[in-house]
Amino acid sequence: MAVSDSAAPSQKAGTVRRGAGLSASGWVGAAIILTYVFVALTGAWWAPFGASQILTGEPFAGASLQHPFGTDNLGRDVFSRVVLGTRPVLAMTFSATVLAVLAGGLIGVIFGYLRNWVDEVGMRVVDILISIPTLVLALLIISAVGNSLWLVVVTVAFLFTPRVARVARAATLGVVTNDYIAAALARGESTLSICLREILPNISGVMLVEFAIRSAFAIIFIGSLGFLGFGAPPPTPEWGLMINEARANAVNSLWPVLAPAGAMAVLVIGINLFADSLSRLIDRQGSAAVAK
Amino acid sequence: MVLTRFGIALISLLAVSVIIFWCVEMLPGDAAERILGRNATPEALALLREKLHLDLSAGQRYLRWLTAFLSGDMGTSLVAERPVADYISSRIANTALLSGLALLLYIPVSITLGVLTAIHRGKPVDHAISVVVLVLMCLPEFVIGILLISVFAIKLAWLPPLALIDQARSFGELLELIALPTITIVAAMSAYAVRMMRESLIEVLESSYVLMARLKGLPKRRVLLFHALPNALGPAINITALNVAWMIGGVVVVESVFEFPGIGRLMVDSISHKDVPVILAISMVMTGAYIATNLVADILVILLNPKLR
Repeated sequence: MAVSDSAAPSQKAGTVRRGAGLSASGWVGAAIILTYVFVALTGAWWAPFGASQILTGEPFAGASLQHPFGTDNLGRDVFSRVVLGTRPVLAMTFSATVLAVLAGGLIGVIFGYLRNWVDEVGMRVVDILISIPTLVLALLIISAVGNSLWLVVVTVAFLFTPRVARVARAATLGVVTNDYIAAALARGESTLSICLREILPNISGVMLVEFAIRSAFAIIFIGSLGFLGFGAPPPTPEWGLMINEARANAVNSLWPVLAPAGAMAVLVIGINLFADSLSRLIDRQGSAAVAK
Repeated sequence: MVLTRFGIALISLLAVSVIIFWCVEMLPGDAAERILGRNATPEALALLREKLHLDLSAGQRYLRWLTAFLSGDMGTSLVAERPVADYISSRIANTALLSGLALLLYIPVSITLGVLTAIHRGKPVDHAISVVVLVLMCLPEFVIGILLISVFAIKLAWLPPLALIDQARSFGELLELIALPTITIVAAMSAYAVRMMRESLIEVLESSYVLMARLKGLPKRRVLLFHALPNALGPAINITALNVAWMIGGVVVVESVFEFPGIGRLMVDSISHKDVPVILAISMVMTGAYIATNLVADILVILLNPKLR
């Protein structure tokens, strides 16, 4: 009992130290991400104006105490719209990435484990899907199915899935030859159970990094779709759409263009810093595990 | 090996054509309704449907479209009422000019900056360039474009905000109009390449044969240009291929930012007008270019690596 008691805190200290292994820039990235999540969750309570509330002040007003980022052509408060836009942007990004990583991860792991004709055929399909420029296919699909918030999410997830599947399959090939897989097979575990219980936990680091990188892509991608008019329908305060709406009046006021652009840029930089640091951390842990 | 790769590329293109055709089939309403719009009477609709072979099954229409497409007939644009091939060729030329110019600038820019950061690694020059590169990598291309417009077109009024190059009257004017979209693409592409170039060059600079060359007393410049650089360029081919592939999609966004009369902007316009023959043709051209880029890169890598030949 005493032994296990003393073992528990040291294990905890170990995880803390591992967490501290995140580089300074990684922590900056994590802080940026958490700030955005906080804003997305609480913004609705403290944003000074509503997202589609018009004439909160003079149109094209510059920055002032009342309107920190000025107002747009309809006199909507740009600061409030950027703050309130955090929620749809994060929600879309998060759901699209989760869907893509779940679907792509499952497909990749199963293909990588099977390595038979299913894998052969499946990977050919993946290759073909990857050989269509993402944006072109996205525009085609969205114009065919319509551009509600959730259809955009599903489309982005669909486009990212084959790319995630490739990464997951490559990672699976790296672990599938290990003895514990053979042991599980000998125990009579089913294919699905081997994939989920034996392989998945061992490639979770790679998938975590993939998730972080994909979500940065998703923000840019969803922003680009919004900018082209194929993303969330107006008057959603989605940043890409806001930039698109405001750029015709950029001569009158730059705030409505620059504020959402800046919000998007800082978030993507934060995610990239975090992902970079995370992948280095996992690499180091991987080599440490091998050294042991 | 090269032949297999070529065959796979052709099969992919064929498969992609099916996917694209299928996507376009799912567009709301059929072609006859879209052409006639509000003036549609049932008789006119029936007549036009027959003329457009809408009575055939989707599979049959796909085969008709494919055979016509392969023989060079891309159909007629519903909006411009001109043959598609005719209509899109000038747009393709514009896009080719823009991306060619961008590619021409991108190579020296990324090599110079990559070399600069690698030989001054850890010094202020490296830090400054690396931070700018990181920020550029994280910015979506339309944000880069809009920032450039805000600074150079609106605040400083040095360059025009829109790149309506069809209205250029002289070569100088053309350059002025095309400058901002070109810089946008170069900035977006170089960011990634500089970072990769820096890493691969640092690796080479720390290798033993570079040390050997230095110990032989060769001048620094000679070591850099003749020993290190050629070996660091290998990964650059892959990055360039990735960048060109990116550009094929990115050009849609960049052209929309600057209202540049290229194929990407036409794609967006055609989708909003549901101009199906043009959508099909542009999707095929873009995907074809995309697949060709990857094919060329793969073949180059095979040819450059004696082990794979």
